[in-house]
Amino acid sequence: MDYSETAQRISRKFSQKNQTVDVLKIEGKLRRLVDEFGVLPSEAERSVTNELLKEFNLPVVTSGSGSSPGGATEQKKIADAIPGDWVTFEARVVSLSTPVSTSIAQSGILADESGAIRFVVWTKASAPAMTEGLWYRIESAVVDEYKGIPSLKVHSGTTIKEMGTADPLIPVPAQIKDLHTGVGSVRAKVVQEWDVTHERMLQQGLLADETGTIKFVLWKEPGKERLEVGSVYSIFYALVDEYNSRLSLNLSTATLMQEEGDMPTISGGDVAIRGAIVHIAPGSGIIKRCPVEGCNRALSRQNYCPIHEIQPNFVYDLRIKGWLDDGEKTHNILLQREVVESLTKIPLDAAVQIAENNPLGMDEVFLRMRDTLLGRYVICRGREIDNRLLVNSCERLAFESGEHAALLNRAGGVS
Amino acid sequence: MSMNARDVGKKDAPFEREPARRVFAAELRECRYQFKEGEEEKSPTFVLLPTGERSNRIYLVGTLTEKQRQGDQNLFYRGRVVDPTGTFFVMAGSYQPEAMQQIAKIETPAFVAVVGKPSVYQKDPASTPMVSVRIESINIVDKETRDLWVLDTAARTLDRIDAHAKGEGKDIEKAKEQYPTLDPAVFKKMAYEALAQIRI
Repeated sequence: MDYSETAQRISRKFSQKNQTVDVLKIEGKLRRLVDEFGVLPSEAERSVTNELLKEFNLPVVTSGSGSSPGGATEQKKIADAIPGDWVTFEARVVSLSTPVSTSIAQSGILADESGAIRFVVWTKASAPAMTEGLWYRIESAVVDEYKGIPSLKVHSGTTIKEMGTADPLIPVPAQIKDLHTGVGSVRAKVVQEWDVTHERMLQQGLLADETGTIKFVLWKEPGKERLEVGSVYSIFYALVDEYNSRLSLNLSTATLMQEEGDMPTISGGDVAIRGAIVHIAPGSGIIKRCPVEGCNRALSRQNYCPIHEIQPNFVYDLRIKGWLDDGEKTHNILLQREVVESLTKIPLDAAVQIAENNPLGMDEVFLRMRDTLLGRYVICRGREIDNRLLVNSCERLAFESGEHAALLNRAGGVS
Repeated sequence: MSMNARDVGKKDAPFEREPARRVFAAELRECRYQFKEGEEEKSPTFVLLPTGERSNRIYLVGTLTEKQRQGDQNLFYRGRVVDPTGTFFVMAGSYQPEAMQQIAKIETPAFVAVVGKPSVYQKDPASTPMVSVRIESINIVDKETRDLWVLDTAARTLDRIDAHAKGEGKDIEKAKEQYPTLDPAVFKKMAYEALAQIRI
């Protein structure tokens, strides 16, 4: 059997990637695999190719079409790329971000008319640095997956050519309900701002449009400013991540444009639930919070913050976590200080007095609040997020004689 | 096909707490059938209400008229909570230390709100089955809360009777099978009488 043709083919593939290989050595390897070990010729070609790819630190094609071992590259639109593909894109660098590791030379987002994708240029690729805003032809890069999100890898076999076009490329914003992991653009309103949960976090909160809501996170980086609550923004090329099967938008890479005016947002986020409080959870009542700016975590009894350790200069706060039950469904509720104060009629300073002057300490506040609220009918208004109702207002229900009369009629009617 | 609790990741099924059903004492007293959903040890047990709804938990408001401390090694409390239609038999054992402390503090008579788990038991094969409620929490409340509960429970009971008549609901067939002699109209009359006892 003649192996020179196959060997030549493999050699060509590597010379395209600027690597020189020993054709005779390849031929020898192929012969050994096929003649001595009974490997099918196509499989032998594949395994020799992969061995060489590894040797040159090029991405190995794991699963394949079989008919094109070594990976044929196709010119594609970004939206059509699937992990495992070797691709050639003509795309614009719409965002560059600071690489998280020295093995990465550049990372950011590439876009064409069809969509956008995250990309990484390995330092080892020795590729020319790309400039934000310019179009490039990127040949023979690999699409893979990182945490379930497609990402384009530029390796030493990839060629990058600047195209000289200056198409501005304006992305079409998607609706929030249509977002999926990867890169997305939306036009939405900032409807809520939440406490930050990490010291590197600049802001987090909730964005809404007519179709839904999504959490957003903005990390502290030079040039980043907080979003204004109540304002509408066009957000281009944000990273859409998934955590606990909920999507969230990371705005680090995004281009943000504050817009004039208002926009309608989904009303379904606002709910009012009438029911009985059937459980008050531990951790309710008076709590101590970490005083470090931007932390605000609840401290343990020993004033221990999971991030900032012992914090003797803690800040007191009130909250109630519990379950509100309407007889059909039980809703996890979270009440912040203002709501707790108006519902229990125990203001924070009074709660602090109780906690500091009573033998039971903070437990006494918990018990008093539990005895006032447990088993009572209330109506809670707020937003339901991640299966938890963040309560904006909560009032005790009052007996209504109109309702009584209507029920008497209903029960007294002919069956 | 039974779902293994360990296989149900957070992703697929976020924890759902069983809702507390609203049921009058006169209806709960009629329960005879209870069943378990799933094979796991921790799978919830349900009591089937005669109006055709499963109930793993109930919320009730009434007057605690009597309470009794029982047992030496295994201390527990029994109590009677009365609503306009009859009596709930409630109990709190050493496995519910919080509930036991709560009921210990309450002096009878008092309006109480109880959240708990109903179950059907029989002292011996010859005796009539009883329904008792294992207390998760018990708390003193006011008369207005009691009245609100009567309205709420009447409304929920009437909803169940309507669903029963239309055959809408996954447990209605089971209820017809298990309680062939019970006419839901009885519970409509019961709801009316409960409502009529509230003086405005």
